[in-house]
Amino acid sequence: MKLAIVVQRYGAEINGGAEQHARYIAERLSSHADVRVLTTCARDYVTWRNELPADEERVHGIPVERFPVVQERDPIAFRNKSELVFHAAHSVKDELDWLDVQGPNSPALLKRLAAIAGECDFVLLFSIRYLPAFYGARLAPHKAVLVPTAERESSIGLSIYPPVFRGVRAIMYNSHEERAMINALSSNHDVPGVVVGIGSDIPDAVDPQRARRTFGLQNPFIVYVGRIDANKGCAELFRDFIDFADRSNRAIDLVLIGTPILPIPDHSRIRHLGFVSDQDKFDVIAAAELLVMPSPYESLSMVALEAWALGRPVLASAKCDVLVGQCLRSNAGLYYEGAREFAAALDRILSDPALAAALGQNGRRFFTQHYSWPVIERKYLDMFDELRRIPTERRMEPLPGWLARRRRRVPPAAAVVQALPAGPVLAPHTPEHR
Amino acid sequence: MMADQNPQHGRRQHFHRGRRGPDRRGGERRGPAGQSAEGGREHREHVDVEQIMREIRSRISQRHGIELTTQQIQELAARRLEAILDPRTVKPSLLEQIRRSAATPIDTPTPAEPGYTFEDTTLYESHRGALRFIRRLLNPILKLFFNPNPLIAALNTQARLNQAAAQREAERERRQAEWNTLHYEILQRLVLEVARTSLESQQLAMKVEALSAKVDFAERRARSIEAALHQVRPSARHEPAPQPAHVAQAQSREAAAQDVASVPAGQEGAAADIGRRRRRRRRGRRAQGLTAEGTAAGVLTGVAAAESRLPDNGEAADVDDVDDEEIGAEGADEGEMYDAAPQVDAAPAEPAPAPSALEQRDSTSAPAAPAIETPSGANAEPASPDAPAPPPSSDPAGD
Repeated sequence: MKLAIVVQRYGAEINGGAEQHARYIAERLSSHADVRVLTTCARDYVTWRNELPADEERVHGIPVERFPVVQERDPIAFRNKSELVFHAAHSVKDELDWLDVQGPNSPALLKRLAAIAGECDFVLLFSIRYLPAFYGARLAPHKAVLVPTAERESSIGLSIYPPVFRGVRAIMYNSHEERAMINALSSNHDVPGVVVGIGSDIPDAVDPQRARRTFGLQNPFIVYVGRIDANKGCAELFRDFIDFADRSNRAIDLVLIGTPILPIPDHSRIRHLGFVSDQDKFDVIAAAELLVMPSPYESLSMVALEAWALGRPVLASAKCDVLVGQCLRSNAGLYYEGAREFAAALDRILSDPALAAALGQNGRRFFTQHYSWPVIERKYLDMFDELRRIPTERRMEPLPGWLARRRRRVPPAAAVVQALPAGPVLAPHTPEHR
Repeated sequence: MMADQNPQHGRRQHFHRGRRGPDRRGGERRGPAGQSAEGGREHREHVDVEQIMREIRSRISQRHGIELTTQQIQELAARRLEAILDPRTVKPSLLEQIRRSAATPIDTPTPAEPGYTFEDTTLYESHRGALRFIRRLLNPILKLFFNPNPLIAALNTQARLNQAAAQREAERERRQAEWNTLHYEILQRLVLEVARTSLESQQLAMKVEALSAKVDFAERRARSIEAALHQVRPSARHEPAPQPAHVAQAQSREAAAQDVASVPAGQEGAAADIGRRRRRRRRGRRAQGLTAEGTAAGVLTGVAAAESRLPDNGEAADVDDVDDEEIGAEGADEGEMYDAAPQVDAAPAEPAPAPSALEQRDSTSAPAAPAIETPSGANAEPASPDAPAPPPSSDPAGD
């Protein structure tokens, strides 16, 4: 079996959620298929600047072809276009322009995909939000297996996406909430789909004491892992934690792991460890009282799954349906909205070690049942088998014509998203992950 | 909570306080320890996150009032928007009109009739070439009957005017649609903010009420303290004095009291000075002896200790608890104001004088506890009868 994987960035040092997801899947499926990755030369998802050479290389044994991006992102144009398509009535052409401005625009990548699509059994396309996945699905709809990694934010409400959701061969969802959202958005119930998610390479042994010694973590602490960014809810996390630390007598620290984009407050109880190795990350998570995940937009939080795999409870933002759904289905974490709930939920876990242990145990079980690598691989392989059996009847709806594309009749994307049903999915209606 | 992890073990359990349940109950009610731990573990494996979150939110709402999420505030604001734009009171169908205009995509309406041009050849146009040729051929004959050029010019001008008007109208419609969207957005945000502000003002009003209740309580407490001091005032008049001269001093004190009583209205200040001197003397001894003064001082000390333990938020229930425990029955009655009471705390301590026989009798008959809590928390022993008497000039006021 031959697989092509299309993703906007790829590399061992690239830690974006979807990019890491793509790399893990590529590496795992490489034992079952001949996998090839098509990506861009960009390393930075904000500028899409060509920083990596435009040639073929191997990353952890996987052949990776890189293609240059023809235009870096213009932040002002992107902001203006986003404002237009998210908050005002607009045309399909405006949306396509927004997609171009967002990038990464690499015609060479699409040309290469068109050339090799016929040779491949399936093309795995990651992140529908970005241009390569969108046009890649339109180039090879009969081979396209989409991994949308869609979050509940305004861009998913654009009118250009539902035809793609209806036109691809299959969709590998990250969560039940993502599936419910995309089903509601595009009425693509008849498209084969499965909730898969992603596993993680959890080390066999972790050493919390080593992490404490290495980083001088004397006090009990909670940990945040990820990009330290306002979009990830870190500003609210800082505010809530400082409020808690100032009011509480508990000697508890907040430890941050990741690249800071947001300034980190100068507070005696906040520690920033910077970017650390995977082993250090797992050791620190294992040493933590819990992992806090303040992001309101997550299609799937890998670090939350990693914390559960290590038996640590999770404290998640209640604004993220996916995280709340996972906490409820797994009974392995609490969630909060606002400073009071943050303080109360944190205090509850910290003051009840048995509860924390039980949450951690539930999390470990949840991870093993649904997100361990054998389970993930089996779901992908089963889907490929199923697609081979099902004849290809579906047609990708074409984009509107020249005139229709310019009619300003498309409602604001934010309003579309707001009208979608929200909330965690407590009881998936189908058999296990179907 | 598992038995081996319960920090409450070994301590007396509080069945009436805090979270209830088997995890907070004493070990004696659990049966064998092993079973208890396993039962606890089994119980914990069936954690219900939803239930825990309900408990947390319920506790928060009990403590801080209703905690509304952003979504709830938005829903509330939406309801208020409907209330503000009530069709019965404002304008029929205004709400629906605004909603429709906000929801309707901005689209330039096309004119009912397509725009047309009118040129000098338009009158003679035809899709049939022969007919067009004949018309053009006969045009000079037509012009013999009338001049069609003004008609052509007028229609040409009208066509251009129609096009310009249509463009203007389309532009106006487009701008109007944008303004409608903007107005609706502004109105919605405004109502949202008003809703949020009104909720905050309600919360602040509740806080003000709580604070005023706290002030009332503090006033009542102050009156209780003053009443306690007033009750011990008569016994305080028995000044300590050297044993052999106590009778003479009592007589001179009575004489002084008579003098005070007989002071004319213009000399009340002098009488007050005398009273103040007495009170200052009493201040110096309050922390030591087992006298009625000591009792009063203990009351004040207890109150001061209670005040020092009050939380910042000063919840009334907590204050009540402190009052009951620290003040006790001694400060329960309200009495008349004791004018020098606030100065009592500020006075430095003096060496305890030897109690007189009269004071000893008073102190043994006083209802005070045998040991009095000092500010440091230690129990002050009753003053030794062998303690040296202070010199008469030891008045801290210096007079």
